[in-house]
Amino acid sequence: MKFVTYAENTTQLKELAILVETKKIDANVLEVIVGTAAISRYSENTVAGLEEMIALNQKFKLPLVLEWDVLQQESLFQKNAELVSRLPLHEFKAIRIQDPGALNLVKEKFPWLKVQLILENGNHNYTGLSRWSDFLGEQLDRLVLSNELSREHLSNYAKELKTELEVLVFGRILLFYSPRLLLSPLKKEAVQKDILDKNVEAYGTSEESPHAGFPLIENRHGTFMFNVKDLYLLDHLDELRSLNIGAVRFDLRFDDSFGHLENCIDLFEGRIKHEDVLEIKTEHPRPMIKGFYNINKTDVLFTKLKNKRIQRQDNNYVGEIVDVERDQQMALLIKSKHLTLKSGDELQLITPEGKTKTLGLKIFSDTSGAGLSHATTNEVVLLPFMSGVVAKTQVYLVNKDMQ
Amino acid sequence: MKNWTPELLSPAGSLEKLKVAVLYGADAVYLGGQKFGLRQASDNFTAQELREGVEFAHERGSHVYVVLNSFLHDKDLEELPEFLTLLSELKVDAVIVSDLGVITEIQKHSNLVIHLSTQASCLNVESAKLWKKMGVTRIVLGREVTIKEAKKIKEETGLEIEMFVHGSMCMAFSGNCVISNYTQGRDSNRGGCAHSCRFEYSIDMQNEEEAKKAYFMSSKDLEGIRMLTEFIEAGIDSLKVEGRNKSHYYAATVSKVYSEALAHYKEHGNFLSDDLIRWEEELRKISHRDYTTGSLDEYADESSIYNQRESDDNEYVVTGVILEVKENEHILLEVRSAFVPGDALEIMPFSGKTLSHVASSIKTISNIAVPKSKPGSVVKVPYIAGAERFNIIRRKLAEAHV
Repeated sequence: MKFVTYAENTTQLKELAILVETKKIDANVLEVIVGTAAISRYSENTVAGLEEMIALNQKFKLPLVLEWDVLQQESLFQKNAELVSRLPLHEFKAIRIQDPGALNLVKEKFPWLKVQLILENGNHNYTGLSRWSDFLGEQLDRLVLSNELSREHLSNYAKELKTELEVLVFGRILLFYSPRLLLSPLKKEAVQKDILDKNVEAYGTSEESPHAGFPLIENRHGTFMFNVKDLYLLDHLDELRSLNIGAVRFDLRFDDSFGHLENCIDLFEGRIKHEDVLEIKTEHPRPMIKGFYNINKTDVLFTKLKNKRIQRQDNNYVGEIVDVERDQQMALLIKSKHLTLKSGDELQLITPEGKTKTLGLKIFSDTSGAGLSHATTNEVVLLPFMSGVVAKTQVYLVNKDMQ
Repeated sequence: MKNWTPELLSPAGSLEKLKVAVLYGADAVYLGGQKFGLRQASDNFTAQELREGVEFAHERGSHVYVVLNSFLHDKDLEELPEFLTLLSELKVDAVIVSDLGVITEIQKHSNLVIHLSTQASCLNVESAKLWKKMGVTRIVLGREVTIKEAKKIKEETGLEIEMFVHGSMCMAFSGNCVISNYTQGRDSNRGGCAHSCRFEYSIDMQNEEEAKKAYFMSSKDLEGIRMLTEFIEAGIDSLKVEGRNKSHYYAATVSKVYSEALAHYKEHGNFLSDDLIRWEEELRKISHRDYTTGSLDEYADESSIYNQRESDDNEYVVTGVILEVKENEHILLEVRSAFVPGDALEIMPFSGKTLSHVASSIKTISNIAVPKSKPGSVVKVPYIAGAERFNIIRRKLAEAHV
């Protein structure tokens, strides 16, 4: 299993190099993601700064991975594609991409360059992951999976996919990515000029949400909002290794977390136990959670969003009661295109509360009071009043063959 | 000579809304079944309703696209083939998809035409080329793309291009917001969006300045009526209206306005119509946030933020939907908001200007006169020449008696 982390500048790259030199971690196990502000979501590094890191790495020989993870409309994409093509791509072990456009470009123009495909937004099924994998073939280095996948799914994918898989084990959870600049309009005019060059950071709290203190970043790429709790799976590293997850990512870019680097490496390498580094969690500026690692039940509330009893269910559906006048009549709107309502029919009525009533249809009339022997779709017919029946009651023809 | 115009694609949150949208001029509608779409709270369509909806639309020359645009998990995919069989049997015109796994399953189990949902955030030429390789024939572009960029994408890929022309907008890149997942336990990309972006937030700029309260993540609504010439000149194939969760009145008004505008262009080759002001006024009579052209012309900026609380303050209110017209006898109206005899009502015909009418009386179905109609009930009003089943009746809010 590989240890993946970020280096924003030469200082951080040197620190990583020292850990390799001191045999804290093997250079073949370590992987360092680097970027530049133009193409990386949160990086403040300049292109010159990136080139300096690449030059410095000639000595260190650390496996560098170029991050191109922004989403881009066509005009921005063209500029970024041009920038990427000017970079010394041979110096990178791979390129990390989310935008399918960037993926297509790299596949077409740089077929020799390995790709780490970021599939963090959605991509929660084996079929899709497998198709992405097949699409890239030998060029694919790794699939970077969503934080919303549970242990069970990670386990299955690691067994069934031939591709190496990566998951985040420490760091912020991105909730929202907008291309629009949403913070700078709230800032004083004098400081707005700086926004393109560095990240504007803030925290958002809403009284309409039980959660407070969402970290926010705005920069040239737009606005990012993160969860109020960060992801923490450091107590599951052995398990992830046993599941055959190929790489785990430690995102130490925020909140001075880079200071935890050595402890994380020691923990990863098994030199210390999780109990020895509990302060990483306890001293973190925000609560930390396992996210959906144990289970993802974000679809269970859907059944409560609407009343299934007021939905038409089967081929015997006749229509809906649209009005009830107590002791007078009930108005039935015939919605079925295929059934004809006739005298003698037996009807089943299911109210929105779920009560079931039956009605033997002897007489019925149109809305002018004229008696009818039959009625068809779109007609409104008046039925005898029945206690307990209300508007939105669904009406079905009892299938006599079934009785 | 008839001029070319794009398809007008309206939302159909229910069978009744489908009928309303088609009757008011939509060339195509999009809708969801009970699963696999992004509007779990919407009525959506049962199999029977879907069958009837497709028949209704096809009989009137309108297309039906079915959304399968959730990011499905493995267990969701297991239930998909049966639904695909139904969609094939019903001959729906296309399915709208955002997940490559879903695309793969569709290709494995059917010959359905596949449109890429805006949820996939396709934003550039190369991205469109990739999705073309995956088998999609139409791209619903991300709302962040300008018309000019869309034209380039169309020209360089040969794909059909669909763009949003009207309605609410996500502030985030579509498919790139999971606020509801972590804060409400509802998967926003499987239909559980809780609209947390519409909340008011207190923004703490970290001692730099005082915290400021703002609806900083809420977007104004898109309105593209003034951009129709640009859409047409760019050859955009389909203009989509957002709003499957919205009302019959919304579906009717937006379908009517845009279809009338496009019909005018088809006939005259321009939008130099006295009706342009009327069309814009009509779009202001439906529930909406402040309008913006979003990124249609240039990338959306600060002016596209709707920094205020959501409200239902509307100039007009829907009185009801006509259920039945008995010529020279009465009209049966499903009441949506209370009104009294003497109120000035406006009937929205399927095309052309509204008909003004004063209801001289209101009666129950059993002909008992009532002083005021009750929302949710069905009442009789005197016959109005020109009114048709599914016409929407409205009145100015000053006239309302809620």
